[in-house]
Amino acid sequence: MNEKQKQNNFEDLKQLLKLKRHEIPPPGYFNNFSGQVVSRIRAGEAGGARTFMERLEVEAPWAVSFLRIFETRPGVIGAFATSVCLLLVSVVVFSERADKAAKAQLAISEETAPVGSPMASMTSPAFVAASDSTGIVASTNPVTSLQPVATLFGQPGSSSLFQQANFAPASH
Amino acid sequence: MSMIMSETAPIQDSNTPAGMLEGDLVKSARKGDLDAYDELVKRYQERIYATVYHMTSNHEDANDIAQEAFIKAFQALKSFRGGSSFYTWLYRIAVNKTINFLKQRRNKNHFSLNDLDFNAEHDPDLVALISDKTPHREIGLSELQKKLNEALMQLSEPHRMVVVLHDVQGQSHEEIAEIMDCNIGTVRSRLFYARQQLQGYLAEYAKPA
Repeated sequence: MNEKQKQNNFEDLKQLLKLKRHEIPPPGYFNNFSGQVVSRIRAGEAGGARTFMERLEVEAPWAVSFLRIFETRPGVIGAFATSVCLLLVSVVVFSERADKAAKAQLAISEETAPVGSPMASMTSPAFVAASDSTGIVASTNPVTSLQPVATLFGQPGSSSLFQQANFAPASH
Repeated sequence: MSMIMSETAPIQDSNTPAGMLEGDLVKSARKGDLDAYDELVKRYQERIYATVYHMTSNHEDANDIAQEAFIKAFQALKSFRGGSSFYTWLYRIAVNKTINFLKQRRNKNHFSLNDLDFNAEHDPDLVALISDKTPHREIGLSELQKKLNEALMQLSEPHRMVVVLHDVQGQSHEEIAEIMDCNIGTVRSRLFYARQQLQGYLAEYAKPA
C-alpha cells in the first residue's frame, strides 16, 4: 500500500471519526452541570477538612501517581514488599555483624592492654566491684562520672538511715 | 436590524462573571469567588465533558470524571502559576484523571453511549461513507457508532487521547503536546500509529475508494 492510499485511508477514517462529534449528552445536561460542580465544592468546604488522599492528590500528585502504580500493577506490590523485606533483613544482618566485630575488637584490646595500665584496671573485676560498693561508677564521661547511682533503697551512702535490727531475746 | 442584533447578542457587562476575561475570572476564583469559577466551568464544561466521554465511551463515568476534574482544578487553583493558559491546565487535569480512571478500570469496558444528534443523519460525509464505501450497506449509524467506539477502546489510553483530541475535537499538535506534556514528534507518531490501528479495526468501514 503506497503513501497516497494510506492518506486516502486516513481521510476516510477522519470522516468516520466525525460521527463522534454527533454524540451528544441528554438534552439539558449542561444546564445544571456547573451548579452541581459548585455545590460539590461548597459541600466540600462546609465538610471541613478533606481526607488525607484528597489533600495528597492536591499537594503531592506524584505520590498519588506512585501509589496508583500499586493499584494497577499487583506484581509491583510483591516486588516492592520483597525488596523492603530484603532491606530489613540485610540491615539486621549487618548490625549483628557490626556488633560482633565491635566485641571482637574489645576483646583484642583487653588482651593486648598491659596489666598495670589504667585501662586494664578500669575494666578489671576488682574495679567494678569497688565501684559497686561505693555506688560511684567511674566513667570517661565527665558529667556522669561523679553522679551517684541510685540504688533500690535510696541514694548510696544513705545506708546510715537504716539501723541494723538485732534481735536479742530478753533474758529472764 | 439593530434591534434584532441587540436581542440576539446581548451586551456583556464586564462587571458580571459572564462578561469578564478568563484571566480575571481565574484571579477571582483563586480568591474563592465561586461565581467566577461557575462561569469558568460554564465556558469549558462541554469540551472537558466531550474529551472524557470520548475516552470512556460512558456517559455516567464522563459526568463523574468531568465534575471531579473541575473540583480538583478549583482546589489546586493556588498552584496554578499561569505558565500555560487556564484552559490547557484544566485540560491536563481532566486528561490525567481520565487516564488514571481507565487504568483502574482496565478490561472492564462498559458502554453507555450518548445518542447521535439529528444532524448526523444529514452529514454528507457520513451519508456518503455509509451508502458508498461500506460493503454492508444496510448498516445504520448507531451500529457504526458502536463499532467506532469499540475500535477506539482497543487503543491504548495515550493513543486514544491523541485521536480524540486531534481528529474528534480538532486540537492542534502543539496544544495536544502541551496538554499531554510530551513533544510534538511524540504526538505525531502516536497519531499515525493510532490511525493505523483504527484503520485495521475498521477496515470494512473505511476502505479506499
